[in-house]
Amino acid sequence: MTAPNDPGSASACPGPTLAVDPLTVEVIRRRLVSISDQVDLNITRTAYSPLVYEYKDYAVGVVDAQGRLLSQCTSGMPLFVADVLGAAVRDGLEIYGRDGLHEGDIVITNHGGTIGQHLNNVVMYTPVFDPQTRELAAFFLVTLHWLDVGGRVVGSLSKYATDIFQEGIQFHTVKLRSRGEPVAEIYRMIRANTRFPEEVMGDIDAQIGGCLMGRDRLAELIGRYGLATFRASISCIWDQSEAVARAAIAAIPDGTYDASAFLDNDGLNAGERIPLSVKVIISGDSMTFDLSALPLERASTMNAGRSGGGQSVARLAFRYLLIPFEDANEGSYRPLDLVLPEGTVMSAGPNAAKGHYNLALPTLIDLVIRALGTAVPDKAAAGHYATFSTIRFVGKQPGSGALFQCSDSGFGGWGALCDADGPGPFRTMCHGDTRSIPIEVQEASYPIEIDSYAIRTDSGGAGQFRGGPGLSKSYRVQVPCMLFSTFDRTECPPWGLNYGLEALPGAVTIQGPDGKISSALKENVQLAAGTRVVVETGGGGGFGDPRLRDPQRIEADVRLGYISRESAEQVYGLRLDEKP
Amino acid sequence: MPYIVAVDIGGTFTDLAACDLETGQLRLAKCPTTYGDFGKGIFECFAKADIAPRDTELVKHGTTLVINALLQRSGARTALLTTRGFRDVLEIGRGNRTQPFDLRFRRDPPLITRDLRLELDERIGPDGQVRKPLDDGELDAVADRLKAAGIEALAISFINAYANPAHEQRTAKRLAELLPGVYISTASELSREWFEFERTATVAANAFVGPQTSSYVRKFEGDLRSGGFEGSLLLMGSHGGVMAASRAEHEPIALVESGPVGGSIGAAAYAQPLGFANLIAFDMGGTTAKCALIENGQYAVESTYYVGGFLRGFPIRGNVIDIVEVGAGGGSIAAVDSQRRMNVGPRSAGSTPGPVCYGKGGVEPTVTDANLVLGRLNAEQFLGGEMRLDEAGARRAIADRLAVPLGLSGSDSETRAAQGVVTIANLTMTEAIKQISIARGLDPRDFALFCYGGGGPLHAAELARELSIPHVVVPPEPGNFSALGMLLANARLDTVRTLLADLDTGSLASLSTMFAEVERTSRDALLHEFGIGAVGFERRVEMRYKGQKHSLRIALPEALEPLVLRAQFDTAYQHRYGHSRPGAAVEIVGVLSTASLDIRRPKLSDLAIARGKSGKSGPAGTRQVYFLETGGYLETAIHVRAHLPVGFSSHGPAVIEEYGSTTLVGPRDTFSIGSLGEIHIDCSK
Repeated sequence: MTAPNDPGSASACPGPTLAVDPLTVEVIRRRLVSISDQVDLNITRTAYSPLVYEYKDYAVGVVDAQGRLLSQCTSGMPLFVADVLGAAVRDGLEIYGRDGLHEGDIVITNHGGTIGQHLNNVVMYTPVFDPQTRELAAFFLVTLHWLDVGGRVVGSLSKYATDIFQEGIQFHTVKLRSRGEPVAEIYRMIRANTRFPEEVMGDIDAQIGGCLMGRDRLAELIGRYGLATFRASISCIWDQSEAVARAAIAAIPDGTYDASAFLDNDGLNAGERIPLSVKVIISGDSMTFDLSALPLERASTMNAGRSGGGQSVARLAFRYLLIPFEDANEGSYRPLDLVLPEGTVMSAGPNAAKGHYNLALPTLIDLVIRALGTAVPDKAAAGHYATFSTIRFVGKQPGSGALFQCSDSGFGGWGALCDADGPGPFRTMCHGDTRSIPIEVQEASYPIEIDSYAIRTDSGGAGQFRGGPGLSKSYRVQVPCMLFSTFDRTECPPWGLNYGLEALPGAVTIQGPDGKISSALKENVQLAAGTRVVVETGGGGGFGDPRLRDPQRIEADVRLGYISRESAEQVYGLRLDEKP
Repeated sequence: MPYIVAVDIGGTFTDLAACDLETGQLRLAKCPTTYGDFGKGIFECFAKADIAPRDTELVKHGTTLVINALLQRSGARTALLTTRGFRDVLEIGRGNRTQPFDLRFRRDPPLITRDLRLELDERIGPDGQVRKPLDDGELDAVADRLKAAGIEALAISFINAYANPAHEQRTAKRLAELLPGVYISTASELSREWFEFERTATVAANAFVGPQTSSYVRKFEGDLRSGGFEGSLLLMGSHGGVMAASRAEHEPIALVESGPVGGSIGAAAYAQPLGFANLIAFDMGGTTAKCALIENGQYAVESTYYVGGFLRGFPIRGNVIDIVEVGAGGGSIAAVDSQRRMNVGPRSAGSTPGPVCYGKGGVEPTVTDANLVLGRLNAEQFLGGEMRLDEAGARRAIADRLAVPLGLSGSDSETRAAQGVVTIANLTMTEAIKQISIARGLDPRDFALFCYGGGGPLHAAELARELSIPHVVVPPEPGNFSALGMLLANARLDTVRTLLADLDTGSLASLSTMFAEVERTSRDALLHEFGIGAVGFERRVEMRYKGQKHSLRIALPEALEPLVLRAQFDTAYQHRYGHSRPGAAVEIVGVLSTASLDIRRPKLSDLAIARGKSGKSGPAGTRQVYFLETGGYLETAIHVRAHLPVGFSSHGPAVIEEYGSTTLVGPRDTFSIGSLGEIHIDCSK
């Protein structure tokens, strides 16, 4: 490959923009993705927090000088696919103006009113200038979950918070570096406002390293082709992505589709269900998500801002349904409209508590898929377990007395498809390339023993195609510690589609050393040494009538223990021989 | 006589390279791979090269047998025995979805189904202490169940066995007595690193391919012996060394990348004599391009390898040569989508039907077709003229399937589409080179590009220009280089152990003790397997900033001082990631010991086939060849490689043709023939 060739007669995108050779466009598209992916890899390798290197609670992306999405890393956290990156940059441009941003500046923000997620999610970015004209060309961003940003509890996520000020410190668009120089005041503030300064500082270094590496690679790319060609290529990439998305929408019959479900509660008000419903309107090659029926924001932690909440849901669902294999960018989302009034749980105000902003997200994404399930069954899936199923143990190490935080989160079943059993156990639809933490690492790192880790029999919803199974994991704590759990969707379990049955929901059972048993779905609870905690995750729903399931598959499921004999006989209606 | 012979069973061809240890004479042979009885193809190669097994001192054998059995799930009926509560670890894996938005994403199914995964009451703690002792009575009961299940192989993997393998060992010993004829393998003998899923997946794979591999090795050795062979049979390990046949029977998983490794060994062997400390070994074949790093004359090994690829495959632990592989080869298919976006690969026309120009029924244009249309390949001289290429067919396919949908028109539209195919294929390959260099913190400009495989020399000069790599080297026999490289392999044994400790004087003492112990074991094993010889050791240590998960491997300095080691780590970290944290705490995660033993190998000078003595050394002719760099066709000199004498030099644009490969020299490049018969291309101007 050499310098771009003469554009000649062919242009990938005819129209008012500068004609660019289609092959140059292809080169720029692929370079953009590969730059983000390389930065992604380095962040995983240099991060300190398991939330980053295993859970992949971060994202890497590039936006243009106006904050419009150019590209994003392939793995990372799909949840950040939303407009979060653009929202952060647009806020920065408003505050500093173009002239107030310089080479070497590094800006951070976790502002509740801008990002709309929990304060741990800190967006960091740096401007990228065209090496030839010194014109502002783009921003390179890395969003990353900081282990702790202060607030009421270790890890900053307390179910008792009623406004955002109880959840930690807010950095509303401040410079961490100015023209390449660290801003010591901000570093001192960060250090003084986290319970894990070493880890957080380590992760910040990884985040900065990523921003700078991305910036340099991007500037190299822009310098090579020139800003005009770069911009023309981007505009062409957007047009192409838009056309792909529109073609996918056009294949869905026009109409209004809706679906509803509910959450158990908001974490603070037991017994008060949270109704959720979505409406999807398909009209030609456009799609509208109407979330106006969502409940109003609550004095609890389940709120999310428009960008981190409603927008995220819309964009994620859109990708699952329509463009699962495309690299998403601003153009992909042009055919997508969102109707969402201010002040709902997915468009909450800046000061609403947002610690568990993600409580409703997997369910809402799933509802969009459910709504369209009848229209395009081949693109849909039955419901997945749809709850983050997080468990955190916080206590002191027996030897050193150092504070430890063992974060674990459930992997559950995914919904069955129109022609295949549900996959899993995986993490929720908000997650992507997120890995479980090995048992051996947990046992070596924390005073916790793990007694079993197994597939949960009968947890997947029955159907002609069975839902994916959930898991069961049993912990025994060796020292007194606090347990923080966040489980939902137990009263409205993962649904089936097309006469498929629902799955088993998740459960958290505490068995004290005295034998006392209790449930702890959304708890902050003190555990005595020797307490056993059994965490079960939900399965995915089934697809199609279970009585239509191939008997050989039912027999195999019984032999392999995915379903019990009882369920084979009672739910699937199959008489098995007496032999096991 | 006597000979050292290397044989490499590939997907399409079985290659043989042999060296007469007395005269230094090199012999090469290529025969179709004989599925069902791979030995047949090998003995055909022996015959073709006119070598008798009885005249052979060493046979080095590389094979894709193991990887194929894993990918095709054609191994033995295998059971898994785990700690109670953990039989599903193998199936659950790590729960990650590498394709985040695909509702249908699922991984390849585990090698061992749930009904063949049994559990046992026992438990070791993370500190290696026994928490729950093993019950011999239960072992007897398990043996009965396994017997009833009719298994051929058994994998044993217990939680925390990396810290104490005693339970696994006792279980294996007892079950071997109770289950004669069953192939038994324990996870801790393959890997002593934490991460239960990875270790379990490794032992499952090892047991799965064990019976088949060991019977193959035994039969092949038997056939060699009955041909009068009295030497040693050595298997090519994925870590780049050869291992005794007995070890390969025991650890067949160590052969998982037994094929591709040959090229890297060859590249490493050439590095020093050619005066290059650092090389990027680049191999372009029919379906993929692979690259590997040679730093300070050594190739790098990685500790995790994904069987079936990272997207859907499962990991295995063990040292596998660090290779980045991308879907760009001569057979990679170019296609245009509805949005007029052209893509090349990873779909490949393979060898059947192959590129359109092969005339074997291929209809989709490939990289080879584009190279032919651009005049870079000689339709008459492909594989030394054994195959005539259909240039008109290639041109038609590129016009109809690429130029038209792309909206290109005019007389040069085919050329431009073909140029696009090569451009995009080159892009994919440069990404691979960047991944192995820049993504590892290295600057490709500090390396020379060492290229082989059928297509490597054809694209290398362009890739080098793209990445500002100043120098390209094409070794002798690029089309057979993998087998040639195997001839040069040494005996090698790698051992990895987890050792988690803060970096201080005390932990360095335990480090030394651990190395000494590992080295003693390795030396005994190598001497046992290879007889007398000098065993050399390398010590590397895995380190990280305390709190991180990923670690870096650092060569252990002579002076075992915490501060010295610390400084080396900071430097390496800075080098790789562009920043370091000199104030932060550092910890040790594990040790890697490499033991090697010199075995007889040919001299590199012997591998340069006598050439350029009889033929004329000027160009054999000229033709029009398209160069991306100038964006047009140039009158280009065509050379026959076999006619070029050592010391010959000339300038581009040029094409150098030989059996099995073609080298392209760009218009601004110069080239020369080195003393080992290698081609040097200077792309620095």
